[in-house]
Amino acid sequence: MADDRAALDHLFSLAYEELRRLASVVRRNDPSITLSPTALVHEAWIKLADSPAVGHTSPLHFKRIAARAMRQVLVDAARHRKAEKRGGGRALVTFDEALDARLESAEQVLALHDALEALAQVSPRQAEMVEGRFFGGLEVREIAEMQAVSEATVLRDWRAAKAWLSTEMGSR
Amino acid sequence: MDRDAWERIQDLFHRARELPPEQRESFLSGQCDDPAIAGRVRDMLAADEAEATPILDAPLGAVAERLLDDQAPPGAPDQRFGPYTVRRLLGEGGMGTVFLAVRDDLESEAALKILRDASLSPSRRERFQSEQRALAQLHHPSIAQLYDAGTLPDGTPWFVMEYVEGLPLTEYCRRRKTSLRGRLLLFRAVADAVRHAHRHAIVHRDLKPSNVLVKDDGSVRLLDCGIAKQLEGDEPADQTRTGLRLMTPAYAAPEQLRGEQVGTFTDVYALGVILYELLTGQVPHDLSRLNPAEMIPAVSEPPARPSQRALRALAGLARGEWADLDVLCLTAMHPDPARRYQTVDALIADIDHFLDGAPLDARPDTVSYRLAKFVRRHRSGVVAGTLAVLTFLATVVFYTVRLRAARDDALAESARTQRVQQFMEKLLQGGEDDAGPADSLRVTTLIDRGLLDVRSLDAEPEAQADLLETLGGLYTRFGKLDRADSLLRAALERRERLYPAGSPPIARSLAALGQLRTEQASFDSAEALLDSALALYHERLPADHPDALAAATSLARVFEETGHYDRAIALLTETARAQGAGRDTTPELLATLYGLANNHFYAGHYDTSDSLNRTLLAAYRRRFGEAHPNVADALTNLGAIQQEKGNYAEAERYHRQSLEIVRRWYGEDNPRTATGLTQVGRALLYEDRYDEALALQRQALAILERVYGSNHPRVASALNDIGGVAYMRDQYDVAEPAYRRVIEIYRSVYGERHYQLGTAISNLGGVYLDRRQYVEAERLFRQALAIFVEALQPDNVNIGIGHIKLGRTLLRARRFGEAAEESRAGYEILIKQSNPAASFVRAARRDLAAAYDSLGKKELADRFKRELADTT
Repeated sequence: MADDRAALDHLFSLAYEELRRLASVVRRNDPSITLSPTALVHEAWIKLADSPAVGHTSPLHFKRIAARAMRQVLVDAARHRKAEKRGGGRALVTFDEALDARLESAEQVLALHDALEALAQVSPRQAEMVEGRFFGGLEVREIAEMQAVSEATVLRDWRAAKAWLSTEMGSR
Repeated sequence: MDRDAWERIQDLFHRARELPPEQRESFLSGQCDDPAIAGRVRDMLAADEAEATPILDAPLGAVAERLLDDQAPPGAPDQRFGPYTVRRLLGEGGMGTVFLAVRDDLESEAALKILRDASLSPSRRERFQSEQRALAQLHHPSIAQLYDAGTLPDGTPWFVMEYVEGLPLTEYCRRRKTSLRGRLLLFRAVADAVRHAHRHAIVHRDLKPSNVLVKDDGSVRLLDCGIAKQLEGDEPADQTRTGLRLMTPAYAAPEQLRGEQVGTFTDVYALGVILYELLTGQVPHDLSRLNPAEMIPAVSEPPARPSQRALRALAGLARGEWADLDVLCLTAMHPDPARRYQTVDALIADIDHFLDGAPLDARPDTVSYRLAKFVRRHRSGVVAGTLAVLTFLATVVFYTVRLRAARDDALAESARTQRVQQFMEKLLQGGEDDAGPADSLRVTTLIDRGLLDVRSLDAEPEAQADLLETLGGLYTRFGKLDRADSLLRAALERRERLYPAGSPPIARSLAALGQLRTEQASFDSAEALLDSALALYHERLPADHPDALAAATSLARVFEETGHYDRAIALLTETARAQGAGRDTTPELLATLYGLANNHFYAGHYDTSDSLNRTLLAAYRRRFGEAHPNVADALTNLGAIQQEKGNYAEAERYHRQSLEIVRRWYGEDNPRTATGLTQVGRALLYEDRYDEALALQRQALAILERVYGSNHPRVASALNDIGGVAYMRDQYDVAEPAYRRVIEIYRSVYGERHYQLGTAISNLGGVYLDRRQYVEAERLFRQALAIFVEALQPDNVNIGIGHIKLGRTLLRARRFGEAAEESRAGYEILIKQSNPAASFVRAARRDLAAAYDSLGKKELADRFKRELADTT
């Protein structure tokens, strides 16, 4: 079990670092390219599939880990943005709309992250579902397979979870 | 919200959703009398209708884009990096951006490098820190010193290193029109720096002229030592992925381009390319227009010989000399690692040979070559004539034979060094995961694999013994003590066959075994082994030899573990004197002083310990600045001393200072910060500020849960602290669940038979005892005791305490006979300890007096009453 845990950590680290790297490389090479997390996760899978750490992992399992990593990447980036604001190093750009938009996105990601944590307390399965679908682009079919439930159940749970998350985030 | 509420909310939500909107309200009020739940469902229905959840319905891409958009270079001015502040941009390199930074307290300048496109995952950040500390230990006049490193909140690594004003190696030589000899001497200085790094198992991986700066005074500085490794994963295939962006293709060895395992031999190749450039003014292969796939065949072809492209400035060189330089340079950069110089040592040796006009080791061993070389060296001595010719030939034969023997020695030696180095490096690469018990399993798997390699080395018994000892040391570090035992004994046996009795390698083996025995808690045997190692060293080596000092330090640890603080103090004082003689405060000396301060503390010499800790504090501040974790360590110790002296407010002040440093250095979500909070919490307990203490301990717990997840021994230990405080305050409803979680965690992590589990069960038993639920308390204490008996030595203090707690329970339950038996058993174990847990001995005496009183055994009761009176 301990071995699994280490392998999982390793996989997570690989996915995290690759996603982060892809994100900045893609942007620098062509700023007009849209960064879709789903595409990034897919790209990361192509890059990492030959590595021994990833080799004997199923694509579905990898996507699930990568979704977790993607979430962490965005949460870290959001915290970074907020820290940037607090740090005051760029005090003169208060009216910079781009900065405001970034801050708003940061707030949203962090709010979603917290709400998901709260959801995980009462229903880890639903939290995993939202994470996989939202951060990893997993299809309904894939989530059903991963959680060994029917697609109808996934859709139903998704709807309740989403409505709850939305009220939870709104109440902050 | 709990699980039930969530089920209920979902159920209502789905049922209401299927109704027409106007019927929902009446359905809700009919079905649900909990206004909170009904309100929530109402909100959810509205959100579901609106279908405009701000982030959940928007494409995540836009959000990701805004958050990850890092067009602006990181590290705006005024941002802080440890104790450093950024001043201005120095330049942008292949790996990242370099700024001039200033250390706040010393006003000294340094270079800050922020890596690009690199972001370490949270789990790797801490490991990264510790590796940086290893790099910071690398001191060499020609290596730019690494001062500090860390990660930005988004995981981007940064490094602070010595700021060097100078020119890149090739540029310097071009501008100054440096002579061949001058160039070779500069090159030799670079190679020497690389050799130093290799001896510390650090491979540079990105050697190139722009990473070698020459200062105005002609001294060289090697930059970025060991940094490239930080960006590579720990498995070869991870390197394929990241490899290309980390190196500079023109200087990269073929194996590096192919994404294969790199090693010291990779640096040898790059040194060869640098030499080539110094001789010809150009790189051997022009790769600038090739794509990665085309590069590999290109570098597999031998380049033009340096002599064919020689710089005009180096004209005037004899043909024979050029031939040697061709061989030297092309041997260093041979495409096949096996045919290169096997170590930087070997490369340096041939540079020296060339500078002395002696034959190269790399030269094919032909008589004509050696003759030609001989003639060049002894031009004037080679006279025509029979006698002269005979003498000459005899000399040649003599020379050839002697050289061959000497070279074989050197080769054997360097092959051995190389083997140990490569081996270590491989292990260290795999060992990057030593972050916790789970990961150390992987490390030991790796060591196991290494062991197979070592067993196949029968033909090289010295190297085999060295490696067995290395592996044994590693097993010791990772807690596989039985395996360590057999390996270290095997190493000792081999060395006893190989070396004369009492020689230093044998002493090294004895010392390693002694360290293992310390870990095994066989302190008598540890002491004997370390004693004999020390005696041997003292016979053969100078008293201040590092091996002898290391053995002394190990012996001092045995004394510390066994409570012989005075002997530890004597030994460490002597060691410190040897280490400090006429030298700066080295890291080794500071470590000795740290041990000395601790032993004085344990021995109750609080004033001495206080003054030593103050010395350490000052030394750490000088060396590392105000905000370094070592400074925090010293402050923590000063706090502990004040705590012992009863100056609780003072203690709290120190612990808070320490916490502030740790918090700033490691950030909020870090185990070290949690430890700092716990220490402040413990100080507050002494001031009877329970609620504040509890609040801090809860903060610590939350951090540890975020870092380690809910099922980790560190989390258990924090819960145990919380349980302890609550227990003291009679808040059993807080203490009980905390202790129960501790038990759950230890059970799943350590299994059923670990003494930690026993301790946790015993703590829970205490709660039941205080609640006067004696049946349950007795059951728990007996369970704990059974675990202790199974897991620990028969005279272990925990077994004693277990008996005493059980005894007290039975006494309260008025089962005096059994109570007396248990308390007595515990008492007998505790008073045999060199350092008995005084409060438990007192408790045992009190309980025994009471039990014997009730049993009518007046004499025995009186005896314990007397003892009680004598000791209070």
